[in-house]
Amino acid sequence: MVVLRAGLCPGLGEEMLHLLRANGIRTVVDFVSSDLEDVAQKCSLSYKALVAVRRVLLAQFSAFPANGADLYEELKSTTAILPTGIPSLDQLLDSGLYTGEVTELMGAPGSGKTQVCLGIAATMSLSLKHRVLFLDSTGGLTASRLYQMLQARVEDEEEQATLQRIQVVRVFDIYEMLSALQELRDCLSQQVLSSVGPLKIVIIDSVSAVIYPLLGGKQSEGLAIMMQLARELKSLAREFSLTVVVTNQVTRDSSTGPLKPALGRSWSFVPSTRVLLESKEATWEKASTQRVASLAKSPRQPTGIQVELNIGDVDVQEPSPVTPT
Amino acid sequence: MQREVGTLPLAPALRARLVAAGFQTAQELLETGPCGLSKEIGISKEEALEVLQLVRQECQGDATRSAGGSGATRKCTALELLEEEQTQGFIITFCSALDNILGGGVQLTKITEICGAPGVGKTQLCMQLAVDVQIPECFGGVAGEAVFIDTEGSFMVDRVVDIATACVQHCQLIAEAHQEADHLKALESFSLESILSHIYYFRCRDYTELLAQVYLLPDFLAEHSKVRLVVIDGIAFPFRHDFEDLSLRTRLLNGLAQQLIITANDHRAAVVLTNQMTTRIGQNQSTLVPALGESWGHAATVRLIFHWDESQSLMASEMCSLQLSLRRQKGLK
Repeated sequence: MVVLRAGLCPGLGEEMLHLLRANGIRTVVDFVSSDLEDVAQKCSLSYKALVAVRRVLLAQFSAFPANGADLYEELKSTTAILPTGIPSLDQLLDSGLYTGEVTELMGAPGSGKTQVCLGIAATMSLSLKHRVLFLDSTGGLTASRLYQMLQARVEDEEEQATLQRIQVVRVFDIYEMLSALQELRDCLSQQVLSSVGPLKIVIIDSVSAVIYPLLGGKQSEGLAIMMQLARELKSLAREFSLTVVVTNQVTRDSSTGPLKPALGRSWSFVPSTRVLLESKEATWEKASTQRVASLAKSPRQPTGIQVELNIGDVDVQEPSPVTPT
Repeated sequence: MQREVGTLPLAPALRARLVAAGFQTAQELLETGPCGLSKEIGISKEEALEVLQLVRQECQGDATRSAGGSGATRKCTALELLEEEQTQGFIITFCSALDNILGGGVQLTKITEICGAPGVGKTQLCMQLAVDVQIPECFGGVAGEAVFIDTEGSFMVDRVVDIATACVQHCQLIAEAHQEADHLKALESFSLESILSHIYYFRCRDYTELLAQVYLLPDFLAEHSKVRLVVIDGIAFPFRHDFEDLSLRTRLLNGLAQQLIITANDHRAAVVLTNQMTTRIGQNQSTLVPALGESWGHAATVRLIFHWDESQSLMASEMCSLQLSLRRQKGLK
């Protein structure tokens, strides 16, 4: 809903604007959807001038339709599939994380979401030499664990360079997160060429920690902010061909109900792929690093597939990036 | 400058009016100016001026950050984070098995949660940590002060005196064995009186007082910058009784958790919480799980669960397993 302003297009002068406002036409949508003959009579403006202005506004503000074939060609050339470094997880995700999409990892406390995120960050930085942006909202990121993961694989100097490519921003509030995303957008749109490597992945751990304090109670503005965040993430992923990985909690309806993802139904439409991580053993008495990942939502694979992974020794391999054929 | 109006931290009613009037980006708001803004939305000129000041601040903050200035954001590379962590100390617990599974002790800048059945020793451990945080650096401690927020009234000063005396004696023994000058110098300031005077005690009787205390903590910590430990003994107690609206409880708890992690991070302090256990009744058996629900489980970075070993007697042993740990998961027998 763009407000009509003088100079928005040639032919839209100040007096025309005043007359239109006086008759209740304030935004572009109002103008374009109103009956121009009627408006010409009421505001005593020339019909031709109004039609000319409408044509320009439509050209400026309407979306351009594209056909499927062009869209497919565009997707083929801009989408990349980034490997996560965990072969079983790659299998679950249909060979890796697709750029232009939001992928969600959900699980109970201690199920390994942060560990998997760290593994993905390590792989991206080490094997693909990409920059990684890690937004940490729970304080759960421990650089020593990242270092541990890399130590087994690589020598000293490379470790340092690898760690330097991973940028960590600690945001503990929804507005800070939105600022950080805006900053990322500014940085990418100015196409700041960095010697460190391209940025293709944004990891957010976790998105529910910043949204939960706003939901619930009797206020509905929490939902509005959550949707703003969702829109920002999806548009960033699509416009700049990034892959966005978010982590989410799980809750229960009652103390004996089944586990379901947090943030409700509105958020469930945001990620294209959802993976649920669970412990293999039911209790925490026996410590183990085995986890089971199951596919809860995917645009490409049938849901319900389960794979096992070991988060203790996240295998940071050297695979080559796979592009779709 | 292209920041959307919906992402700015304004009051919800104001935001709704701005969106309804057709403003989309911060740029448009700034272009309109205060008079135009007050006319279009129907607010007073002072309010319009306030709004524009806030918008300008946010946009300037964004601009300095993207230009490379660090400002107040907590932005760094993983390498810098690693260096920071390696120079950070731990708060040791004087129980080597516990220190082992924690990876050296209670970590600073993280939230540690201690859960257990009644009588297992959670408050004792908290009191021990409040004394241990004050150990001077030459003995391996962090030389900080402690804030103890008590909601259950289980803080016993006599017991703290016992623990502190034992700690001072232990350090004296080390000093005698090593005979170094800085050890002896540190011991002069490490006495029973100084330990007790550096534990700041707050008593909160219900959840409102607890929330108020936690939200006012940053101001307190700004004045007492040496605090390295914040203990909240009994976070479950005020929230478990008398709460009809469970969604409000979740919201408050999550807000509390975020505030605590902000405090822990900004002041480089460790936050230790104690939680109760509750029974989850399953289909054919019941298990003891930490209280306050699933979403609270995500608040803490490290979660310690204490429970009794069946074969041993009450006082003799404690078996604890680490449920959530970023670095390792081991059960200690």
